[in-house]
Amino acid sequence: MDSARSRLQVDRNHRKTVGEVFVENPRLTCRDIDVFYGEKQAIKNVSLDIAGNEVIAMIGPSGCGKSTFLRCLNRMNDTIDSCRVSGNIVLDDEDINQPGVDVVLLRAKVGMVFQKPNPFPKSIRENVAYGPRIHGLAADRNQLDEIVESSLQKAGLWDEVKDRLDDSGTSLSGGQQQRLCIARSIAVSPEVILMDEPCSALDPIATAKIEGLIDELRENFTIIIVTHSMQQASRVSQRTAFFHLGDLIEVGSTRQLFTNPKHQLTEDYITGRFG
Amino acid sequence: MTKIWGKRVFSSSLLDSRFLFLAATVVGVLLTLSIFAFMVMLGLPLFSVHSLTLLLTQAWAPDQGLYGVFPFICGTCAIVSLSLLIAFPLSLGNAILIHLLAPRRLARFLHQVVKMMTGVPTVIYGFVGIFFLVPLVREWFSRGSGMCILSAALLLALLISPTMILVFLESFSAIPATHLRALEALGGTRRQKLLHVILPGARTGIITGLLLALGRALGDTMIALMVAGNATAQPESLLDSVRTLTAHIALVMAADFDSIEFKTIFACGIILYLWTAVLTLSLRCLHFNYAKSSHDQSL
Ligand SMILES: Nc1ncnc2c1ncn2[C@@H]1O[C@H](COP(=O)(O)OP(=O)(O)OP(=O)(O)O)[C@@H](O)[C@H]1O
Ligand SMILES: [Mg+2]
Repeated sequence: MDSARSRLQVDRNHRKTVGEVFVENPRLTCRDIDVFYGEKQAIKNVSLDIAGNEVIAMIGPSGCGKSTFLRCLNRMNDTIDSCRVSGNIVLDDEDINQPGVDVVLLRAKVGMVFQKPNPFPKSIRENVAYGPRIHGLAADRNQLDEIVESSLQKAGLWDEVKDRLDDSGTSLSGGQQQRLCIARSIAVSPEVILMDEPCSALDPIATAKIEGLIDELRENFTIIIVTHSMQQASRVSQRTAFFHLGDLIEVGSTRQLFTNPKHQLTEDYITGRFG
Repeated sequence: MTKIWGKRVFSSSLLDSRFLFLAATVVGVLLTLSIFAFMVMLGLPLFSVHSLTLLLTQAWAPDQGLYGVFPFICGTCAIVSLSLLIAFPLSLGNAILIHLLAPRRLARFLHQVVKMMTGVPTVIYGFVGIFFLVPLVREWFSRGSGMCILSAALLLALLISPTMILVFLESFSAIPATHLRALEALGGTRRQKLLHVILPGARTGIITGLLLALGRALGDTMIALMVAGNATAQPESLLDSVRTLTAHIALVMAADFDSIEFKTIFACGIILYLWTAVLTLSLRCLHFNYAKSSHDQSL
């Protein structure tokens, strides 16, 4: 423990991310991201590429800035008054961190699933139809119904709810609610889905279902998932990024990062020596 | 041994408190009902001379033997509905401004002002009404004394708004943040946030605020006495002076106890009582039915 602490002190002076930060044909490119809450810096000069159709896991001790980084990618940090984000984040040739960017369109492209399932207190159908409705994605009722069905199907929930679409979304079990929230976010056909500890409020069976689902969704979406469970990271992701105190310490293929970490801090973390 | 004893103490104190709550409820209900019974009893002698329909529909002219309170019902109705018509949208808008639109500092300042306004005694509002609003209304319309339905309704709107705003704000801030986050993450605009999450979620609070304001407006006596003009004639326009049921009660109190005039105040009391009860119940029912069917409502 103490040796980990002291190593940490030494490392603070030269923290350059080790591993494969850059990829070919990235879907999302982040360069020199700094995030401040007031005076406090929560993300320190982070650069990272994210490829299309990959699942990338973000791990690291509590408070290291995983959620903060995730919120940069759909500009949810805008809703926090004290929060300032600088750097470039490019999605589809557009720097989404510029002031002029239409966050409504951005959030249709970058969906988000939260730690606690948060369906609206409306029917299952309305929960899924809401996004397409406000973004004007369906021309008529039939088309909307089709979107609802296909989204629920992709979220692996259709068979369980097809006979009760008018029941309240909150009447579902926790795991079903989380899949409903996933269906809600994929209903607007995003390119990227951000998931902030999506299984931490769920039991192992519901968790396994969501993990299976994430693997299927990879075909159509890029998924960035924050998780506290290293088992989960290794089950669902192709790449893993390890954060520590606001620094991106190491990025690499999930297998390599867990079996053969290059950075001492990464090794300390995955072997459970701190965090 | 001690454990069992401890348990017993616990359950018996629980029983005690349950009994206390029950007793409080029963006393409350009994009091309310007995007030009603009391008014009916004291009003009975009047109903034996004067039929209820006559009382409800006739004009007020004691010297001609007419003891109807119809003009007062009209006056009350006009003032209360006009003041709610003014105050409700203003209060809702104000609450939305404070909660959602105004910059943090301005919002906090407005909130404080509204809180302070709830504490101002009614009679102060009355003063402001007499010395400021009444002359203004007289000037504007250059008709009558300025003591009229319009003045009273405007002033009453000012009186009931702060309470309404505070209740609205309370219900806005009770909206789960997770729903707001979900909407933001879907790309919802501020407008959609308001229309699809905040207002539907605050429905109950909005109804409650409206009911409180309605009760306050219906029960207010001071404003009506001071600025409505207290004329007993049937009002025909918003600029006419009127007497409300409450003002009538207050004014006739001073009359001879055995006179028929005096007995009419019990009729007024009964009318006010039933009026409030019916309005409250029907609004609650409406809300309940709406809440039941709101599943099918689109977001
Ligand atoms: N709204 C906020 N205002 C001020 N500081 C914040 C805010 N949100 C996060 N922080 C700070 O930023 C740092 C990173 O927080 P963040 O929530 O991103 O961590 P995290 O890695 O997601 O942690 P966890 O694993 O516990 O969710 C923390 O030190 C936290 O105190
Ligand atoms: Mg977090």
